[in-house]
Amino acid sequence: MKKYKRIAAVSLIAGSVLLSAACSNQSASTNGSDKEVIKITYRSGGGSNKGFTDWLNKEIIPQFEKDNPKVDVQLSPLNVSEGDYFAKIALMLKSKNTAPDIVTEDTFMVNSDASAGYLTPLDDKVKDWSDWSNYTENVKKGVMAQDGKIYGVPYNTDSRGLWYNKDLFTKAGLPVPWEPKSWDEILQAARIIKEKLPDVTPFWMNSGKATGEGTSMQTFEMLLYGTKTPLYDTDSKKWIVKSQGLTDTFKFIDTIYKEKLGPNLSQVLNGQAGAVAYQQLMPKGKLAIGLDGIWQTGNWGESGSAPWPEAFKTLGFAPMPTQNGEAPGTITMSGGWALSIPNNSHHKDKAWEFIKFASSKEHTLSLLTKERNLTTRDDVAQEKSYQEIPMFKEATEFLKFAQFRPAVDKYPTVSTQIQSLVEDVVTEKITPEQAAKEYQKNVTKIVGQDNVIEK
Amino acid sequence: MNRYKTEKLIPYIILTVLGIMFLLPLLWVLFASFDPNAQQALKMPSSFTVNNFTSILTDPANLRSFGIGLFISLGQAVLVVVVAVMAAYPLSRYALKFKKPFMYTILFMTALPITAVMVPVYQLFIYINMQDSLIGTILFLTASGLPYAIWMMKNFMDSVPLELEESAWIDGASVWAGLRKVVAPLMIPGICTVAIFTFSGSWGNFFVPYILIQTPDKFPASVTIFQFFGNFGMIEYGKLAAFSLIYTMPSVILYMFSQRFMSQGFSLGGASKG
Amino acid sequence: MNTNMVVSPTVTIKENTRKDHTLVKSILFLLPAWILLLVFFVGPILLTFYFAFTNLALTGTEAKNVQFIGFQNFLSMFEDPDFRISVVKTIVFLLFSAVIGQQILGFILAVLMKEKNKTFRRIIGIIVLAGWVTPEIVVAFCWVAFLSDNGTLNLLLQHIGLKPVTWLYTFPMVSVVVANIWHGTAFSMLVFQAALDDVPKSVEEAAMMDGASRFQVMFRIVLPMVKGSIVTNMVLVTLQTLGVFTLIFSMTGGGPGTSTQTLPIFMYNQAFVNYQLGYGTAISLILLVIGIGASLIYIRSMKVNL
Repeated sequence: MKKYKRIAAVSLIAGSVLLSAACSNQSASTNGSDKEVIKITYRSGGGSNKGFTDWLNKEIIPQFEKDNPKVDVQLSPLNVSEGDYFAKIALMLKSKNTAPDIVTEDTFMVNSDASAGYLTPLDDKVKDWSDWSNYTENVKKGVMAQDGKIYGVPYNTDSRGLWYNKDLFTKAGLPVPWEPKSWDEILQAARIIKEKLPDVTPFWMNSGKATGEGTSMQTFEMLLYGTKTPLYDTDSKKWIVKSQGLTDTFKFIDTIYKEKLGPNLSQVLNGQAGAVAYQQLMPKGKLAIGLDGIWQTGNWGESGSAPWPEAFKTLGFAPMPTQNGEAPGTITMSGGWALSIPNNSHHKDKAWEFIKFASSKEHTLSLLTKERNLTTRDDVAQEKSYQEIPMFKEATEFLKFAQFRPAVDKYPTVSTQIQSLVEDVVTEKITPEQAAKEYQKNVTKIVGQDNVIEK
Repeated sequence: MNRYKTEKLIPYIILTVLGIMFLLPLLWVLFASFDPNAQQALKMPSSFTVNNFTSILTDPANLRSFGIGLFISLGQAVLVVVVAVMAAYPLSRYALKFKKPFMYTILFMTALPITAVMVPVYQLFIYINMQDSLIGTILFLTASGLPYAIWMMKNFMDSVPLELEESAWIDGASVWAGLRKVVAPLMIPGICTVAIFTFSGSWGNFFVPYILIQTPDKFPASVTIFQFFGNFGMIEYGKLAAFSLIYTMPSVILYMFSQRFMSQGFSLGGASKG
Repeated sequence: MNTNMVVSPTVTIKENTRKDHTLVKSILFLLPAWILLLVFFVGPILLTFYFAFTNLALTGTEAKNVQFIGFQNFLSMFEDPDFRISVVKTIVFLLFSAVIGQQILGFILAVLMKEKNKTFRRIIGIIVLAGWVTPEIVVAFCWVAFLSDNGTLNLLLQHIGLKPVTWLYTFPMVSVVVANIWHGTAFSMLVFQAALDDVPKSVEEAAMMDGASRFQVMFRIVLPMVKGSIVTNMVLVTLQTLGVFTLIFSMTGGGPGTSTQTLPIFMYNQAFVNYQLGYGTAISLILLVIGIGASLIYIRSMKVNL
């Protein structure tokens, strides 16, 4: 009988291991001590989000924990590329065990994550919060889902434009300050740089799937929204899947690479393209023009990843023109990030306390000084110290003609479609006209035949 | 005489060329890891440094992920061996009615790529509440390594003569003791082969833990090194090479350790006879 | 897996009363394996069948309200040009890296190494095996470094006066195929080494004495004798290559565009980049079917006696 006992014992052990593993996941958020643990998840991206990390670690968390001794705030950063971040947090938010208590959401994901039931509506909470009235109205729209409820507190917003190296421009005989009035003028400047300064990359823009939303927003939408047709028609509530604007956008992208006005594919089609462009090439004077956002200035400060003291003397930040200079003349896409509370969090009230604390006027100002993004609060925008941050004056000017991404459920999927097609055009797999056709076909499939129009 | 010599020499020449071609990509890892200014091309370092190694090894997150990776892979290898030996025993020794369909099913399972089941595995883990659990990951990796392991163990076990066991039984040993004391020791080559195969498989598997584990603290080394590549791969070549070298160490050590047993394990002709 | 292994002994235990014990014992011994396989393997496969017919998504309304959509995913799949491209890419990858690449190279290595100087054999063996022992992701790093614009290969080409090529962007499929061959050849080499060692020298010598040339000995005598190993190895390597994900993902990410988007990568992109879990599961179902098909071929051609 002994042998059966042995075998039974092994099976029992195996079974209890299974069981204990299942149970051990229950007590995820309270550790041994009787402190309440708040977990914050955000994208650290291997140091590309240093400003945010430092702000939390050095300022906010120590102060909050001092004021709230029974609370332990822990950071749970995700060290992934931007493209992977959203899938990762969707996986995390799905279950009670792994959902953090606070998560940073790119505002374009708020809608779909809210519709998926991942986020907690904050309407009751912001109602009792006096600071909420200081937030810019149109930024509040960015955290509102299709059901009209608020799902996050936006902590930054941004604008985008054309970074250009004044020294290189002068060397090539181009006018400084540079104020291109149309797409053609951009192309012309790039061509002249290429001719006069052969070992400088003339123009850089995110061009692949690896740079994720950065490709959709900083490149594709900055172009498309400068044409007569945006992505989505808010009046008819339909996606515009065929338009001259779409074709022209693809054509512009194609031209840059066909005429070799852009970077090498190996440099630009990977997740570190931004770092290569703005931490290596630009400071070394090897890149003339870059289409990107205000936050890149965060690289060049003293505590940035690529400190560059002469940055703001050497660089100019020009607004992106509309296609042919038609009104309003310039355009920027504006997005931003928000602090949200996952629906599966166990500590929603404390999480809300933290968010309120971190979102105060002085704290957001401190964050933005580090992160170099724009503020979502009107009172912060009035502060002198804010206005004196390098390039912020220009960047805030751009906001006058800011456009936003469609706050529609299907946007994320359409966005990945855009990124695919841009990469296909850049690698010469398809022509711009084919890309436009593909766009029409695929987006119609994604959003449904009833939700599309042609213009 | 000359022609004979040249004829003999040709294979050596071809092999040397092939050998060099095989070696080149690896040499980069070796040289770049000691090079403070490593580039993508293979080059002789102008100065030697161990800084790349120290910066990787002094990062507590990296050390933790190595520990976790070892925990997962070793745990899984041990579990696979034990369960596979147990399962192979009746399959090898007893005539069972359900043996044929069972073996066929196992065979099918060997064919299924893990990548294909990741989405439902993730959902399943949510249902049974094993999300983000290291134990859960080990169990899943064990299960996916079992079909191949059982198949191989059975084959190895078949070659251990029954007579040896029977003499143990005559001496009063139970079946379980016979398995432990007589059969298993004779199957060491097979056990080692399976253990190393499954260890290497899970040590290098980045996709499974990437999907099944959410808390960054619980990532094994395969995920951390992937993240490093994603964040710094285009910039910090030296550190990437050092990280790769450290990361490859366990596989190399394990392989060298059981080198003697591996060569016995590769005759597949036997599997087809009869 | 030894040369000494013959047909599995079907042991008939002498006493009849033992038979019941045998069954109970068998079940107990098999229990852990069964539980693990059922929960963690069969379970997910069944779930795959279920999800493939839904519109489950990672985010958005479909993440909350999963709906059964029947064969919709499969219809989309067959209309999706990217799916067809993935199938082609998978076949190309399989054919060139597994069937042709690893098998042939492994065989050549095994043949060339036969009866050569022992130390030499060991050195070459270790070098080739290093490729196999290296974890897939490190293989990817090595080859990215080797093939990149400023990598070793271009350096060598420039030394002999040729222009550098952007291998990873102009010839991505070739790049991943070569990397996979480098990674997996050792396995085939070992298999064929053992198989060739099984061929009795006397047979070869007899044939040569009868006047057969080296080639004739190889093709007419040796090859048929190792046919079993060849087929077995082919199927094993094929199955293993079918699921290759990390290598391609790290080297090219499936790109540029869809140039190296094999089925596993396509599935990943649909499930985790496009957030369409239902569609992604449908694709993995196709992968499973291909896997089962391949193992059926294995069984059929081997007539394995269980």
